[in-house]
Amino acid sequence: MSDAVFRETAAEPRTQSVPLAHLSLELGHLYMEDFEAGPGRLRRHFEEVRPWAEAARAAAVARAGGRRARISTCFLVDDYFTRFATPAEVVPMLLAEAERAGLTVDYLARESGCAVTGKTPVAEAVAGRIVESPVPGSHGGRPPTARTGWLANGERAPVARAPQAMKRAAPWQPPRETAARRHSVFLDTELWNDDADGHRTWSCPFLAAVWQLARLGLLRDAGEAVLVPQQHTGTGFPDDWDDLPSLVRLNPRADPFSAYRTCSIVPNRFLPVEHAVRVVLDQIEVDPGALAQVAERSGKERTAVPDSVADRVSYVFYAGP
Amino acid sequence: MAPRQSTPPAVLACGEIRTCLLPARQALDIRSAAQLLGLRADERVLLSERPGLYARSPDTLTGVDCPLPSANGARIRAVGTVTAHAALTEGRVLQTSAHCRLPAAGPDQRRPWGEYLVRPGVVEPLGRLPRDAVAEGVLGGGRHGDLDVGLVADGLLTRLLRHPLLDQRPPFRSRPTRLRWVALPAEPGEGPSLERFTLAEDELRTVRLRIPEDTDGAGLAALCDDLALHDWLLTTVVRMLDGIRLGASGAEDTGAVVRALRPAVDHLLHLWMPGARVTRELAPLWDPLEERPGFTRQWQALVQRIRDQLTLHAIPAPHREVEPAP
Repeated sequence: MSDAVFRETAAEPRTQSVPLAHLSLELGHLYMEDFEAGPGRLRRHFEEVRPWAEAARAAAVARAGGRRARISTCFLVDDYFTRFATPAEVVPMLLAEAERAGLTVDYLARESGCAVTGKTPVAEAVAGRIVESPVPGSHGGRPPTARTGWLANGERAPVARAPQAMKRAAPWQPPRETAARRHSVFLDTELWNDDADGHRTWSCPFLAAVWQLARLGLLRDAGEAVLVPQQHTGTGFPDDWDDLPSLVRLNPRADPFSAYRTCSIVPNRFLPVEHAVRVVLDQIEVDPGALAQVAERSGKERTAVPDSVADRVSYVFYAGP
Repeated sequence: MAPRQSTPPAVLACGEIRTCLLPARQALDIRSAAQLLGLRADERVLLSERPGLYARSPDTLTGVDCPLPSANGARIRAVGTVTAHAALTEGRVLQTSAHCRLPAAGPDQRRPWGEYLVRPGVVEPLGRLPRDAVAEGVLGGGRHGDLDVGLVADGLLTRLLRHPLLDQRPPFRSRPTRLRWVALPAEPGEGPSLERFTLAEDELRTVRLRIPEDTDGAGLAALCDDLALHDWLLTTVVRMLDGIRLGASGAEDTGAVVRALRPAVDHLLHLWMPGARVTRELAPLWDPLEERPGFTRQWQALVQRIRDQLTLHAIPAPHREVEPAP
């Protein structure tokens, strides 16, 4: 009723827009074991990444059809599952090794920012947007096999009960992937677990799904953008991860952080995690306002963006450590 | 798979609404209403104070993959999402509303789930939609296992009624109602129209609408919520007056009449505002109901009766008994 004379802002939805590049190119993740393995590990990583990064850029340029392709690069450091070293130690080394391989890291993100940024419970909000893929036969009621904290790409196998006297045990029945083509590749991923004190730890695939949504410009909190890059000022980096913004822009001339599509270059040990990420992304109803903004802007730019959010994400898996 | 047109035009919309008294001694203020209806951490509850307190939850989606109900027995499988929201009027009347739109045809096979999620509230048939048979099937109620948007409204209501803000002590007894609706396309060039409003058995109402093709889905749901709210108010007040023995004498009966009618004054009489939250395009759909039977006419008669009874019982008994019936 926007044509009305009388308006109430609290009664109308609104969605902040974010700048968008064509491609968000992720140059890697850093976990404690990578850091502990020393700078040589990072050096080999970036050496492996470089040709694939160039290929991903070339593909984005080709898709842009002659216009300048806006491409930003990013790197994710795990400060969520394990806290190691300090930004003052890690970040300069990371940047030096990237530069040595001829790569520029435009944005640096902390994994804990995908769980909570400032006071925004990002992961919890995304978990609230899960709409489970219905197994055939779902007609509006809650599915009996739903399991809190887990998400599958199909129908779980029925729980085997101990046979009662005089009754034969039910034969085993397989789980079934809903989108199976003839045979199932069933995947059931843990989204979180709670410890005895009720403290929730989000799983790596779930946080990685949040990370993808951030890179696709599809995260909002009450209509406001979440994980907005902060320009890095000053020369050094802090001694505590908490003092580093969740998302830092290291290159002042970088193209926007969020993009129509993402590409991540990771060693192939990430394959199961990224399969789970896809299963999660396929079952998240992202903010419709944010989705509409991407559709409108890409339409104006005549840039094709896949309908399905999961299809906006791509990977290069290289044989690495 | 080839990319698809982003939003296929709907040729049928349907929904179901549950309306009930909030089971709490006190009506909720606007902040508590926002707490009750905060179904999602990242989305605001829409709050409105004119012309009355009204709070509306964010939309939630439920995935479905099942046959559509149909009057001719055709079992057309459909896949997609049903949208649901809850609303609280004056902190007192709680509604949950579930609805979906259906295009004329869909892909022959189920698509990856993510493709359905970018079209919230759309349920796509596999193949062609037998529109009229499905519209009749929805209003008549399907077989077990057919798409049932009422279950989605029920599920949301059950979830909300467990909220710790509710003390489960409603100020008076009332029964929830169900309103089931379908909307079919209007003839080209025609405006929206209300074809039928039926009071069925078992607190069920059915509504059949015709709407122009470009009608906003949320606006349509808001109209149906509004019809359901006012139908519930009428039903509830009629029942309240039904249950008391009017014209009885004696102090005990006076107390009983006042006790029975007071909740209407305290909680319901100020809620009557048909069309207050209906878009300009759909507002004319109230007209036929106002003309015959005349929802507002009946409401005003009920309000007048309640006021007269309370006035009468405010008169001390000896005077009241001067002119009894012959």
